[in-house]
Amino acid sequence: MSGTLTARSLGPAALPRRRGRHGGAIAYLFLLPAVALFIGFVAYPILWVVDESLVRQGRDGGRVFAGLANYAAVLRDPVFWIVMRNMALWAAITIPVQMLLGGLIAWFIERHTFRFRGFFRTMFFLPVVTSVSVVSLVWVQIYAPYYGIAQVYLQALGITLTDSPLGSPALAIYALIVVNIWQWTGFSMLMYVAGIANLPSEVLDAARIDGARGLKLARSVVVPMLAPVTRSLLLLGIIGTLQTFPIVQLMTGGGPDHASEVFGTDIFRQSFVLGDTGAGATLSVIVLGLAFVLTLAQIVLLGSRLGGRRRTA
Amino acid sequence: MRVRTGLAAVLLAAASALVPLAAHADDQQVTVWSWFVSSTMQKSIAAFEKANPGIKVKYTYYNYSPEYITALKAAAASGSLPDVIGLQPGSLTQQYRPELEALNERAAKQWGAGWQDAVFPVNKKQMLMGNPAGDTNYYILPQESQDLVIWYNTKVFDKLGLKPPKTYDDLVAAAKALSKGGLIPMFQGAADGWQNENVFLMLANQRAPGLVEKAQKGEAKWTAPELLQAMNDWRALFTDGVFQQGALGAHAYPTGAQLFAQGRVGMMALGSWWMQESKFPPPLSQYMQNMDGFDFFYMPALKGSDHASPPVGGIDIGYGLTKTGGKNPAAWTFLASLTNGEALQEALNDLNDLPAFKGHEPKGEITAHVKAMYDRFMADLPQAENQRFAVPAVADALDSALAGVAAGSVKPEDGLASVQAATDKALHP
Repeated sequence: MSGTLTARSLGPAALPRRRGRHGGAIAYLFLLPAVALFIGFVAYPILWVVDESLVRQGRDGGRVFAGLANYAAVLRDPVFWIVMRNMALWAAITIPVQMLLGGLIAWFIERHTFRFRGFFRTMFFLPVVTSVSVVSLVWVQIYAPYYGIAQVYLQALGITLTDSPLGSPALAIYALIVVNIWQWTGFSMLMYVAGIANLPSEVLDAARIDGARGLKLARSVVVPMLAPVTRSLLLLGIIGTLQTFPIVQLMTGGGPDHASEVFGTDIFRQSFVLGDTGAGATLSVIVLGLAFVLTLAQIVLLGSRLGGRRRTA
Repeated sequence: MRVRTGLAAVLLAAASALVPLAAHADDQQVTVWSWFVSSTMQKSIAAFEKANPGIKVKYTYYNYSPEYITALKAAAASGSLPDVIGLQPGSLTQQYRPELEALNERAAKQWGAGWQDAVFPVNKKQMLMGNPAGDTNYYILPQESQDLVIWYNTKVFDKLGLKPPKTYDDLVAAAKALSKGGLIPMFQGAADGWQNENVFLMLANQRAPGLVEKAQKGEAKWTAPELLQAMNDWRALFTDGVFQQGALGAHAYPTGAQLFAQGRVGMMALGSWWMQESKFPPPLSQYMQNMDGFDFFYMPALKGSDHASPPVGGIDIGYGLTKTGGKNPAAWTFLASLTNGEALQEALNDLNDLPAFKGHEPKGEITAHVKAMYDRFMADLPQAENQRFAVPAVADALDSALAGVAAGSVKPEDGLASVQAATDKALHP
């Protein structure tokens, strides 16, 4: 966008400067609170966790340097690979489905509802602000066979649920993914609502005049213009996947037999239930590394493709 | 002048605000953390403070998991544990042993040299559980006991013409009759490892009393034929329709307990703590009122067995004195009261729970039915087999094995082999 006016385009000379002799030092002083908070609440805990991942408990209860032994033990643990599979499934299913459903709902609300727009936005967003504990309790009841909520309605159709998907090692993770999609689709919707509201109407009108309608309009104009929202949702989705914990802990506790274990529940189990701080810290460092690599990869690989328009000087 | 008047008023207000503080400046304060029912603990504290003027107790309640165990871990790491902490025997106590005071001398001074004789044998065993060889110190003092049983709805049983089962075949027949009557036969919250452990311990201790305890100490193998038989019994409870369909996805609390209290469940494996429910604030169901609709039996004689399961149980909750609490004499005074004094009595009155020390029972309005059940529990407790695990990794491996066997994805022998492997790893790292 050549017309974009930025500070960079104005050049350094255009920026107002009111630095005195000690102006630079004072400016750095203003940074101190933020730096102190960062060191206290981000950098120090990270270093502490890295340190813990390199030690084990000795026979006398003291700390013994273990090198990479904790990492080797975690990688040998079959539960770790169940977690990796579950995390991959979680990201591969929830992120695109939430985007698709959220985008469709947002388009429907913004373009096809008038009087009840606020009502629909609120209703679809409601699960996002509902307590995870409540969501978990309700969904455990929905999935329950015989006495469950879904069963009450299915009974009318002559269908009897004989098992809960939460109790099946093969289905538990998918049952949790469904709940997660139900809860978080409203967030994607809200992001797309903001994106759609900001679409320049003249561009859409021009496209229509040029004959773009329906899917063609969506594919060639709307989706590319909403790319920054999509990119943000992708980034947030991956971070959210790695942070998944309460919904799994409350509904299955990672079971049955670790079938629905995710990083959050496994770290909690190792650190707080089994009391193995070294293994918990090791898993945390692995998650941190994964989050860093994935975020970096997105910025490098998708930054330009999904960005749509790049700001140029 | 106006400024001076205003300043004087502020100083006066500040001084008067400080007066109450000054009046209580000599009070000793005890800080306590636990997951124990908050309203009951407040009653215990009130009774204690009345008997010990000059000591104030500040109680902080947490949900057990994840809040309590997370808070403990963080506080231990930062050296900010309170004076007294709620503990379970075995793994949780062992995890915090370096932060805890040995209580032997204090207890002997408080209650006399033979004070341990007043503690139920299973509780005494659990107080030492997981200590390093040769360490005979007590780091936990038990407050309440529990006995694991199968509760049943007497009114529902009467309506369907059922009797408490004596054999496994009776149990299966009762489950079928309950299912036919539109009820959940035996509710199992098999998504909760603790409930699965409890039922397995009932089965295993019927097949071979005390064998699980030996296996977790490394004195017997988890793959022993009796435990394999118990694992097959466990699987059969699912396949024979004793447990409800979908049990592996169900939780005992709140789902199971609510359905049981409402009269929609025939049986449920819980502990003596189920009697607490009748003391909760109204409205209570007709079954829950004074426990009118409930009674209990032990796991009936399994196939090839001629006797029901023995009582299994031990410490429900205990407390430890932290190193910080060790420096605060009032903390021990409160701990002694909470486990074997006026504060305990108040808790028993409020919940109908079983004490850990002999010689206590609830006082107040108790129906003959509740009293009779209470007396049966108290008579059974001295013979109870151990319910607890010393090493969390072993309990975790058993939880996984039980879930896998129940789901049919793990063979019973493979499940037990994995528990043996976890035990070997824990005992010989």
